[in-house]
Amino acid sequence: MKRRDFLKSSAFLGSLACIKPVLSANAFTNGDRKSVFSVCEMCSTRCPIEVSVKDNKGVFINGNPKFSANKTSVCARGGAGINQLYDKNRLIKPLIRVGKRGENKWREASWDEALNLVATKLNEIKEKHGAKSVIFTSKAGESHTHMSNFACAYGSPNIFSHYSSCPITYNMVLEHTYGGGLSRDFANAKYIVNFGHNLFEGIVISDAKKLAKFAASSDTKLLVLEPRFSVVAAKADEWLPIKPGTDVAFLMALIHVWLRDEKYDKDFVKEYCIGLDELKASVKDTSPKWQENITGISAKTIERIADEIYKAAPKVVIDWGHKTTTTHAEYQRTRAIAIANALMGNYEKKGGIHTSKNASNLNKIIGENIFPTLDNPSNVFKVPNTPRIDGAGEEGSKNYFVSRKHGVLMDIAPAILSEKPYPIKAWVNTRFNHLVNVANVNESLKAIEKLDFIVSIDVYLNDFSNLADVVLPESSYLERDESILGVGNGYYMRNKAVEVIGDTKSGFDIFKELASIMKIDELYTYKTIDEYRMQQAKGNVDLLANLKKDGVVTYKVPSLYLREPKIIKEFAKTYPQIKDKIDSNGELSSLISFKTPSKKIELFIEKVEKLFPAHGSLNMVDYDVFNGHEFCLTSGKTPIHTNAHTQNIPILNELMSESPVWINESKAKELGLKDGDIVYLENEFGKIQVKLMLTQGIRPDTLFIYHGFGRVTPALKNIHEVGANDSILLGSKSGHICSTMVTNIGVDIKRV
Amino acid sequence: MKKFVMIHDENLCIGCQACSVACKNENQIPSGVFRVQVHAKMSGVFPNLKTDFTRASCVMCEDSPCVSVCPTGASFKLANGITLIDEKLCVSCKYCVLACPYNARFVNPITKAIDKCTFCYPNRKGATPACVSVCPTDALIFGDINDSNSEINKVLASKSVEYPKAHLGTKPKLGFIKNTKGGRYE
Repeated sequence: MKRRDFLKSSAFLGSLACIKPVLSANAFTNGDRKSVFSVCEMCSTRCPIEVSVKDNKGVFINGNPKFSANKTSVCARGGAGINQLYDKNRLIKPLIRVGKRGENKWREASWDEALNLVATKLNEIKEKHGAKSVIFTSKAGESHTHMSNFACAYGSPNIFSHYSSCPITYNMVLEHTYGGGLSRDFANAKYIVNFGHNLFEGIVISDAKKLAKFAASSDTKLLVLEPRFSVVAAKADEWLPIKPGTDVAFLMALIHVWLRDEKYDKDFVKEYCIGLDELKASVKDTSPKWQENITGISAKTIERIADEIYKAAPKVVIDWGHKTTTTHAEYQRTRAIAIANALMGNYEKKGGIHTSKNASNLNKIIGENIFPTLDNPSNVFKVPNTPRIDGAGEEGSKNYFVSRKHGVLMDIAPAILSEKPYPIKAWVNTRFNHLVNVANVNESLKAIEKLDFIVSIDVYLNDFSNLADVVLPESSYLERDESILGVGNGYYMRNKAVEVIGDTKSGFDIFKELASIMKIDELYTYKTIDEYRMQQAKGNVDLLANLKKDGVVTYKVPSLYLREPKIIKEFAKTYPQIKDKIDSNGELSSLISFKTPSKKIELFIEKVEKLFPAHGSLNMVDYDVFNGHEFCLTSGKTPIHTNAHTQNIPILNELMSESPVWINESKAKELGLKDGDIVYLENEFGKIQVKLMLTQGIRPDTLFIYHGFGRVTPALKNIHEVGANDSILLGSKSGHICSTMVTNIGVDIKRV
Repeated sequence: MKKFVMIHDENLCIGCQACSVACKNENQIPSGVFRVQVHAKMSGVFPNLKTDFTRASCVMCEDSPCVSVCPTGASFKLANGITLIDEKLCVSCKYCVLACPYNARFVNPITKAIDKCTFCYPNRKGATPACVSVCPTDALIFGDINDSNSEINKVLASKSVEYPKAHLGTKPKLGFIKNTKGGRYE
C-alpha cells in the first residue's frame, strides 16, 4: 500500500497527504536508514527509543540500545508511534466550534486566529471573574509543566494533573512513611508479593523485563493476590484470588502474625522506625482467622505466607504497585504495604527497596559533584496562594495532603455544579481525556455545560476535546524537541525525529506563544525549547550534544545499597571518598535519612493523626467496594492500548477493537447468561451497556473491564460508541487522606 | 554457512503483541493480516488455571510442505534455512496455504501473493528480526546455530527446547520453551 493512498484526506480535518515530511536535524545515518534517539510518549512511562527514518519518513521504532535497562525493547504501543504519526484521523489544524457543543461541527482556523481568540477569552474571564475561575488539567509530565507555568503566569491556582486518578496513593504513602520515593529491586529479590500490579499488561519495560525474568527463574517466588487471573497472575508461583478491596485485611493479618511471633527485623525497626506500639495496637485483633471471611483466604495460608516472606527477608519486595486503586481505604492498604516492607528490614538491601541513586544523590553520597545536575527553569513559577476549588494543600480540607500542582480531579465537576467555593467559568485542558479517565462522567458532562469557554490541546479529537470551543492540535512526540529528564543515574531527552506534519505545534510553543500574546510572559527566561534545555543543562554543551546524539546519557557507576557491606566495599574501590563514612559494621548509616517529621520511618504518623483522627494508624474504614450490589466491577490496563489515547490507531485497533466485560463462567450460567450477551451494568451513578465474556479467570463476585473504550468521539468513527466507559459507574467520592479515585465499584447486572 | 534458528520462551512471553506490531511496521503488512501473533489460551477451572502463550508464525521447516507443493517455484528455501516466497512467481493458487500444517501463510490483500514470516531476512539480511529486537521480556532468541558462541546455542544447551508438531517430521527451525507456570492452587 502506498502511504499516499493511505493518507486520504478526510472531510474537513485537512489532509496529511499533500505534506511531505522532512528529515529532522537530529538524525544520524545508519545504512539506508537514519536513526534518531528519542523518548516514547505512547504512554506515560517514557521509554528511550530509536526511531528509524528512511526517505524522510519514520518507518520503525525500537528501544534505544544505548539504554541498558531496556535495550531494543519496546511494547506494542511504542512500536505503533509510527502509525499514530501518520494516522489520517490526527488533528492537523486548529479548530473553532461552529455547531452546538459536542456536535462535531468545526471550522479550521489559523494559529493566529485561534490563539488570539483564546487570549481574548481568557483575558475577558480574568477581568470579570478573576483568574481563579479558570481550571487547568493535563496528564503529568512535560505537558503539565508547561501548562502549569502558563496557569501560574495567568494567576489561577486551579491546576490539575492525572495524579489523583492514578499514582497519588503510593507517592503520598512513601512520602509520609519514608519521606520520599523508593525503588523496588525486582532484579535481585527472592520473593515478591504483588497485589495486582499488572506489569505484564500495564507495561513499564524496565520493570516488566526484570519481573518476567524473576517469575521465570526457579529459585524465586512470585505471589500474586488479585481477583482476576491476569497475565501477572498467570506467571505467578502462587495466585490467590482475593476479594476486591480487601488487600488491607490480608496485610493487617500478615503484620499481626509477624508482630505476634516476633518474626520481623527487630534491630532495623529499633534503629530506624517510630510508632511500633501504635502499630501493635492497630493489628492486635487482625488475626489470620479474623480475615478469612473478609478476603476469602484461609488462616493457614496467611500463616504459611508470613513465614515464607520472613525466611526470604531481606530479599523481599512487597510491591505497592502503581495505580491499584481498589477502595476508599487505599491509603491504609498502601500504608500497610510500606510498613510490611519496613518490618522485613529490606530497606537499602539488595533485592529489597532502596532510594534512587540518581546523579544528585550520588554526588551527595560521594561528597563531590562528579555527575552533572540540572537546573529547573520552571522553578520561578509559583502556584498562587488563593484557595483552590478542591482545597488541596489547605488547612481544614479533606485534600490537605494533596499537592497544589496536581489536585483532585474528582472534585472539579461538583465544584462547577455547586459554584462552591466560587464559580468556575472556563477550562483549559492539554492531553487529558477527563470524560473517560475520571469518575462520574454524567456529573462532568453537566458541569461542562455550565462553562463559558473550553480550550483543549490534543493529538486527536478525543471525548473531552469534542466538547471544547477551541481545539489546538499538538504535534505528536515524534515531531517535538523537549526538555531533559532524569532516568536512572543519567538523563534522557526527546528529540524530534521528523519535521512537523500539518499545522501543529508543541505544547511548549502553544503555551509560550499564548503567554506572549497575553503579555504575561515576564517570568519566562527562555523563548525556545533549545534555550530551555540550555538553561537546564547550565550551559553544559557536551551533555546536550550527547543527549541529541544518543538520546540518553548514563554513567557507569557500580550499584550501591547503603546497608550492604560487601557492595559498599566494592563501591569504595571506585569512589574512595566514601571510606570515611563507612561504619564499623560496614554500612553507610550516616547517609540514611528520612525526610519525615520524626526523621524515622513512620509506622504511626502523628501529622495525619492530628488532622484525621484514627488515620495515623492502620485501619480499614470504608474498605467495602460492593456497596450492597451483587458484583464489584474492576478495571485495568491492556498492553495494546493506553488509557483513553490509542484506541483509534489502526494497527492497535485491529489487535483490540472492543472491550467486553469478564464474568465468571459458572456464575453467569447460574444467572442464565451466555457468552456475548449484551446486558446493562447499573448502579447509583449510571448505567452502561456491555457485552459479556464468560471466563474461568475471575472470581464469581467480580467483573472486569479493560479501560478506555465506550468513547463519544464522532470524529473517530472506528471507536465512536464502541464498548463501554466504566468511569460512568464510578463515584466522585475519593479515598481517605490520599484523595485517590476509587476504580472498584459495586454494580448489578440488568437485562437489556 | 549460517543456519538461522529462533526460540520462543513461553515462560518469558507475556502475550503483549509487541512482536506483531513491530513485524507489521518493518514489513509493511496491510491491516487484517499478520505474519506473527502470540495466542493466549487460558485453561482449567477457577481457581486452578493456567494461560499459555504460543507464537503463531512460520516455523521455517527444513522439509517444508509449502515448498514441495508449490507449482511455480515461488516458495523456496535458502541454504541458511529460511523459507521465502518470490512474489513475482507466485500465482496465489493457495496450495501452500493448505499444505502448511502451522497455518502460517495467508494471502496478502495488496500484492495478492502468499505472504508469511521471513525472519526479516529480505530487509535485515540475517541481523536480529524486528520481533526479536522489540520483545519487552526477551522471550525471543535468534541466531546462527553454526556459531558456537551464539546466544541461541547457550539456550539450546541449558534449556529444554521443543519443536511444534515435531511428530510431523518437518523439522522446524522455530523452537519453544514450554510454559511451566499456573495450573496449581493450594
